[in-house]
Amino acid sequence: MPGSVALFLWCVGTLLEVCFVVCSLARKAFFRYFFLNLYFILSVLTSAARFLTLNAYGSSSDQYAHVYYYTDALLTVALFIALISLYSLVFGELGFSKQIRFAAVLLLLGTAAFSYGVVWQSEERLATSFAYELSQNLYFVGLVLTYILWGAVLKLREARTRLVQFILSLGLYFSAYAASYALVNLADKFSAVQYLSQLLACLLPLSWSVTMLRHTEDSRIATAPLVAVQR
Amino acid sequence: MSRKLGTLVLVMGILVGAMGLKTGLSANTKGTVLMANNPAPVPPPIKPKPGQRSVNPSWQN
Repeated sequence: MPGSVALFLWCVGTLLEVCFVVCSLARKAFFRYFFLNLYFILSVLTSAARFLTLNAYGSSSDQYAHVYYYTDALLTVALFIALISLYSLVFGELGFSKQIRFAAVLLLLGTAAFSYGVVWQSEERLATSFAYELSQNLYFVGLVLTYILWGAVLKLREARTRLVQFILSLGLYFSAYAASYALVNLADKFSAVQYLSQLLACLLPLSWSVTMLRHTEDSRIATAPLVAVQR
Repeated sequence: MSRKLGTLVLVMGILVGAMGLKTGLSANTKGTVLMANNPAPVPPPIKPKPGQRSVNPSWQN
């Protein structure tokens, strides 16, 4: 079994995910942000599956590793769909829904093909290698997509506070993930680094829950001051 | 340029940018695994069986 700090972070993260879904239901925004909620519901179910496997086989078992990587790929696809749903909310009124769906399918297929191209030589663990590679690659695609979406939000002067804060939180989350990816490779000898991924996973449900609690659907924000440079 | 062609070009650009970013960040990878989807503890890398060629950074030694 993992240490007490890891278990504590796991519990906190799962509670925050449940918190977001409860907040959405309480604020009557569950179906408006259905795919964000779906991602967290899947994440809670994943936590249950992982905990059962961990309990039965231990953290260093192959079974746990396989369950971990397969469910992570599933969650990453769910997060990608959640991100595309934010695109639909921003561009929906401009009549670009068809193009967004077309681009999302192309991106998913392209990333899957690239991931398969990287791992196709792996014989015994092709499925696990593919799940791992797809998950990592989709993260970086998500990072680029989030920055493009933020640029569009600024250009279109999007003012819906919830939407703006969801996108900003997602941008921070993906950026922190990319930064920690580099940090882990540079400083993996420090034990604190092993908790980085768990901490990061707590940040997204926390910031989204706060957004859902603090702002209503009618709240508006001016995006220009967010990027204004003081002279 | 039609909308479909424009979307295709944009998708290719995003894919190239994302994979380039990943390659740049993991240039000095030491086989570390970092997943941040769910707060569950990350499992240790799976060791390849004897004679098996490993192609994935997570279980490269």
